[in-house]
Amino acid sequence: MAHGQEQHGHDAHAHYGPRTLPASLATPEIVSVWRTRLLIIAAAATLVSVLFAFTHEGRNHLLRAYLMGFMTCFGFAGGGLVVLMLQHVTGGKWGLLLRRPLEAMSRTMWLVALMFVPIAIFMKHLYQWAAYPNPGAVAEALQHHMVTLEQAMTINDKHAMLNPTSVIVQTIIIFGTLLTFTYFLNKWSLQCDADPLRGTQQSFDRWRTKFENLCGIGIFIYVVLLTVGSIDWIKSLDVTWYSSIYGLQFLVGQGYAVLALGVLTVILLSKFEPLKTLLRMTEQHDLGKLMLAFVMLNIYLCFAEFLIIWSGNIPDEIPWYLNRIYGGWWTICTLDFVFHWVVPFCLLLSRDLKRNKRKMVWLCSWMLLARCIDMFWLIEPNFADAAANLHIRGNIGILAYITVPVAVLAVWGAYYLTELKARPIMNLNDPHLEEMLEPEHAH
Amino acid sequence: MPPREGIYGLLAEFNTPSELVHATEKAREAGYRRMECYTPYPVEEAAVALHFHKTRVPLVCLTGGIIGLVTAFLMQTWIAVWAYPLNIAGRPLFSWPAFIIPAYEWTILFSGLSAAFGMIMLNGMPQLYHPVFNAPNFRNGATTDKFFLCLEAVDPKFSVTETRTFLEQFPAISVVEVDH
Repeated sequence: MAHGQEQHGHDAHAHYGPRTLPASLATPEIVSVWRTRLLIIAAAATLVSVLFAFTHEGRNHLLRAYLMGFMTCFGFAGGGLVVLMLQHVTGGKWGLLLRRPLEAMSRTMWLVALMFVPIAIFMKHLYQWAAYPNPGAVAEALQHHMVTLEQAMTINDKHAMLNPTSVIVQTIIIFGTLLTFTYFLNKWSLQCDADPLRGTQQSFDRWRTKFENLCGIGIFIYVVLLTVGSIDWIKSLDVTWYSSIYGLQFLVGQGYAVLALGVLTVILLSKFEPLKTLLRMTEQHDLGKLMLAFVMLNIYLCFAEFLIIWSGNIPDEIPWYLNRIYGGWWTICTLDFVFHWVVPFCLLLSRDLKRNKRKMVWLCSWMLLARCIDMFWLIEPNFADAAANLHIRGNIGILAYITVPVAVLAVWGAYYLTELKARPIMNLNDPHLEEMLEPEHAH
Repeated sequence: MPPREGIYGLLAEFNTPSELVHATEKAREAGYRRMECYTPYPVEEAAVALHFHKTRVPLVCLTGGIIGLVTAFLMQTWIAVWAYPLNIAGRPLFSWPAFIIPAYEWTILFSGLSAAFGMIMLNGMPQLYHPVFNAPNFRNGATTDKFFLCLEAVDPKFSVTETRTFLEQFPAISVVEVDH
């Protein structure tokens, strides 16, 4: 009875008392090993990426692929922040389990803000509105057939929002606000654990209210800022197109990716103490259900957008999809659908799979890969040379979309693990901790 | 069908859920399989002790969902392509994106209904008669404050004398024979 309080399966001799809290809640040492591996991957991927600079269109592809890496990292940092705020508002044991990984993701925000600098510098190679920043330049570009009439008129029309100064100011406001939220949530989290009254109902209530009051409004502000950010950074690559659901799609995509990464983190760490004791099958199952919800919501929004534009079938909107379906893009489009929805949805329906650690590790990795495919599908067809024309022959630089995001994500991942290691893996001053030490039930 | 006669099983009555779960675990260890716990509220440990993990409700639900999906999609295809072919905004007759939402709704409808009715049927409902209600105090106790374990006579290991001895080793308030 003294040993064998394993979380794997129910043996008939399991006793029903609570388990003891592990002596140390520090993040396991193994994280340093993972960080070293990530840095090696980052170095290798960077080296290969440099080679692409010498290929045809290679430098352009490096920049576009870098934008994809930036946006994916922003998805983890910003998404981590918003899911952190969400779990403060909703409460629940799943939230306590993920809180420290989510805080670590949010603390990478300044690194992601720094990652925007190259994009700000090389802006005019990415965005038409940055290449032709005033009506004079637009008129000249029109004359030389660098832009279509529609694009020229739209660039002038959207000038107030989409011009280099405005976008940089918007970006600074976005990151400034998010960094403020990150600062307070992370500071309070430590203060909450150090509360002299910790463990009492009074302390629980005080901190819960304090977090709730900041997070409720924080979620709203985040959604607005994310909408602005996703329009500025990604959607405006195609200056003529618009879709009112765009920001929300990114929001759900971020939730999708953050949950996958969070679950991946806690399951991988559960081979070691303290999560070996603290990650119960019950909470893993709950997180699996939440992932299924995000998989559903994600396809719901994507399909809703597609169906509305397909029904309308008007020249303002439909080319965005045509560019992403024809000319070889059908393969990526199908892959995106299969990776993003079909596989995770069908697998997450299974109760046994949600309760299986090894399979969930694979599924979470798969879902992260799916996010990258989706981001590629969103970004690359915006450019004239790639719209409705996916080709590798004479265009080897497109492979930078594999190496550059890997390098960027590996650097980000290494920093995420550093931040994860900086704090204990679990908040102590939370009433749910006691519940998580209770024995499992068969649901 | 003539009424079944003879003994249905032995019913032990306990005061606490822990005693019930303990007895259930021991009964399973001793080799009993055909048994059931009756409690006033869900005791999840009792379900664990009974090794009651799997039900066929998910399968019924999935089957219902797939039937709903296929039916709705094929029905719309038949309507749009063969039965009432209409030119709508110059689109092909087989415009599958438009069929997705009704097909999705039917999937939910069919899987929801099959889960609900499947659960009721797999529970053996509606059942107007159950032998355990013949036991004294069951009618009142099982819905208020008593916990019951019934070892059923259909179990090959069941014997009126030995099973009674087995159950009496636990701190049961009573062990009674239940007739069909």
